[in-house]
Amino acid sequence: MAEPDRPRPQAAASASPGFSGAEPTAAEAAEAPRSRLAEAVWASLPSALSVALSLLICLLMIAITKGSLSLAGNAYLEMLRGGLGDLETFGETGAWTQLTRPWGEAATKAAILTFTGLSVAVAYRAGLFNIGAQGQMTVGAITAAVLGAKLSLPFGLHAAVCVLGAAAAGGAYAVLPAVLKLRRGVHEVISTIMLNWIAISLVENWLVVGPLRATTTGNNSISGTDQILPTAVLPRLLSDGSRMHFGFILALLAAVATWVWLFRTRLGFETRAMGQNAEAARAAGIPSARRALQAMVLAGALAGVAGSVLVQGTEMRFPATLGAPYGFDGIAIALIGETHPLGVAASALLFGVLRAGGTRMQLLGVHKSFPELIQGLALLFVAGRLIWQWALTRRRKRAPAPAAAAPPSSAPPAVSTPGAAAAGGGA
Amino acid sequence: MIQVLEALLFSTLEYAPALIFASLGAVLSERSGVVNIGVEGMMRVGAFAAAVAALAVPTPVGVLAGMAAGAGLAAVHAYLCVKWRSDQVVSGMALNLVALAGMTFLLESLYSPTGTPSIEQLHRWTIPGLASVPLLRGLSGHSAMTYLALAAPFGFHLFLWRTAAGLRLRSAGEKPAAVATMGISVSLLRTLAVLGSGTLAGLGGAALSTSTLDRFEHHMPSGLGFMAVAAIVFGRWTPLGAFGAALFFAAGNALRIGLASSAPEVLEVIPQGFLLALPYVLTLLLLSTRQRQSGAPAALGTAYDPEAR
Repeated sequence: MAEPDRPRPQAAASASPGFSGAEPTAAEAAEAPRSRLAEAVWASLPSALSVALSLLICLLMIAITKGSLSLAGNAYLEMLRGGLGDLETFGETGAWTQLTRPWGEAATKAAILTFTGLSVAVAYRAGLFNIGAQGQMTVGAITAAVLGAKLSLPFGLHAAVCVLGAAAAGGAYAVLPAVLKLRRGVHEVISTIMLNWIAISLVENWLVVGPLRATTTGNNSISGTDQILPTAVLPRLLSDGSRMHFGFILALLAAVATWVWLFRTRLGFETRAMGQNAEAARAAGIPSARRALQAMVLAGALAGVAGSVLVQGTEMRFPATLGAPYGFDGIAIALIGETHPLGVAASALLFGVLRAGGTRMQLLGVHKSFPELIQGLALLFVAGRLIWQWALTRRRKRAPAPAAAAPPSSAPPAVSTPGAAAAGGGA
Repeated sequence: MIQVLEALLFSTLEYAPALIFASLGAVLSERSGVVNIGVEGMMRVGAFAAAVAALAVPTPVGVLAGMAAGAGLAAVHAYLCVKWRSDQVVSGMALNLVALAGMTFLLESLYSPTGTPSIEQLHRWTIPGLASVPLLRGLSGHSAMTYLALAAPFGFHLFLWRTAAGLRLRSAGEKPAAVATMGISVSLLRTLAVLGSGTLAGLGGAALSTSTLDRFEHHMPSGLGFMAVAAIVFGRWTPLGAFGAALFFAAGNALRIGLASSAPEVLEVIPQGFLLALPYVLTLLLLSTRQRQSGAPAALGTAYDPEAR
């Protein structure tokens, strides 16, 4: 399944992650063989700077609304303590829970964000914009909740069946936008938006409050579906109160597997080729319709697993609502991670930590959804990637660089985006 | 029966302005070639700003603040998408996320987690002749928002199809290079269209917090911005089509709310979830049967690059 030998420039371009605009031009790649690490650092610079800028602006926002810069600094410290562990208290008491509990919270959030982020990233690499991760995740979550509560299977197998069932449901739900796009030319952004609300309406406002509502015993009413059986629960990894569970490992494995698939297999190569230039890919004999369908099903499956991780890892049932718009967050996670699977895992980890710490910020009167603001702003800055590129390359030019290799500075290279590539066909 | 229809009409017209304004805004932006799925976020900041401003100044002035806030968020969209040719969908979703979390943060730090204090609602006008006519009585007793929302789509229709500026704006969304050949700035046209779109979305948000209700609530606009996107697709990217779709969706919602309060036994047969999903199901069905003739502008979603050939 190894990628066949390709001419040098292409191979170099495919090895450098993400950020299509910053990929070396053929001339650059041939002339200045910078180390892969330097290339990766360079490519991730806009994202890193975006996150840093967003953190700074949000710090100032707390400082302004609360009228105190030191309070804002303390709020950030609390956020880190809530996500990475309270080192001081650990040092004083030696209680490991001071560390493992925050880690668990960060890991459970990071696991879900990794899956939805990968979902968006995989579709994006194929030139499709999957806004529908929220709906696919909802479908996956309800499937996992039903399978977890109704089936009776041995420990381990039961959990696996639930995860796979959720993946199948999410994947199936993503077939529809793919088929509509291929057969009818319906833009996937529009169809997935519709499918999101269809899934949310039908699951949260019908199934969960109607046919699948938890059977109540006595007077205590429970919102959500029946609790899943203990055999379907994703096992906890650490003892004493930490909620870190097997889903975190699954997420890391999924990120690595997606990376291998995208960058080390022929299928992945063809998928990415299609995302960069669908027409050229078709001319080269790549069955683009099939690749698009495959990518979309994979994206849906990943989002579906996000739902099962939520249900089997922490909630133990389909709750009244999914709680946070993890599917929409996936868009932010994917793009901040440069739609590179490992970058996605990194950005999911970062925001998992920040969001786990969000609850702790509440001690200082800052709303727990504050990390979501950091995330949203960071996505906004990443969206302006051409600005970063312009600012960074201008600096880079001034440095003594091989002048011949520099492209004309006035025109930033056109970024090929799914929106641009596909929306023209009409939604 | 007449009373039921009357109540339905009244409640539809209470709920519709937000959706109509947001849809018109989305039509304006998308006709010029810029995808705007940030409508939800622009409505949210509009609703918040209008309610907060109305705590200090008269409510109609607060509405202006809401429009300005929507335009402010749209300015970011225009800057990123028109000037820097960013991905329009990414930018729109980013604005949604920022508005969602940002307004939650501001609401909690300034007021309470659930909503702002009550403000004085926009004045409700009684139409003299209608108060005694059965059925049409439902048309009376709304705020200026409703009557504006009923008239504005026709104004936008005339603007887009009967004026030179409207023709240019539509051309920027169909074939921007042709507009540029005429010596007209595509960037300027699109920027203005996006700003107008944000203003309208802000107005729609303000309608929620100053007319439909009397304060900003933490969940506003709870998906109405996305429903506006459905409305423009349903209405084939025309102001009147979007208007019709928005009215239809609003009527569906009024029906659902009416059933929930007055005839809950009907909802035992037809679950609420079905009614909630209906607008989106219909839009999707319409899209899937209408083969490759959605009416979308040809250059929708593509950044205009004067140097590209």
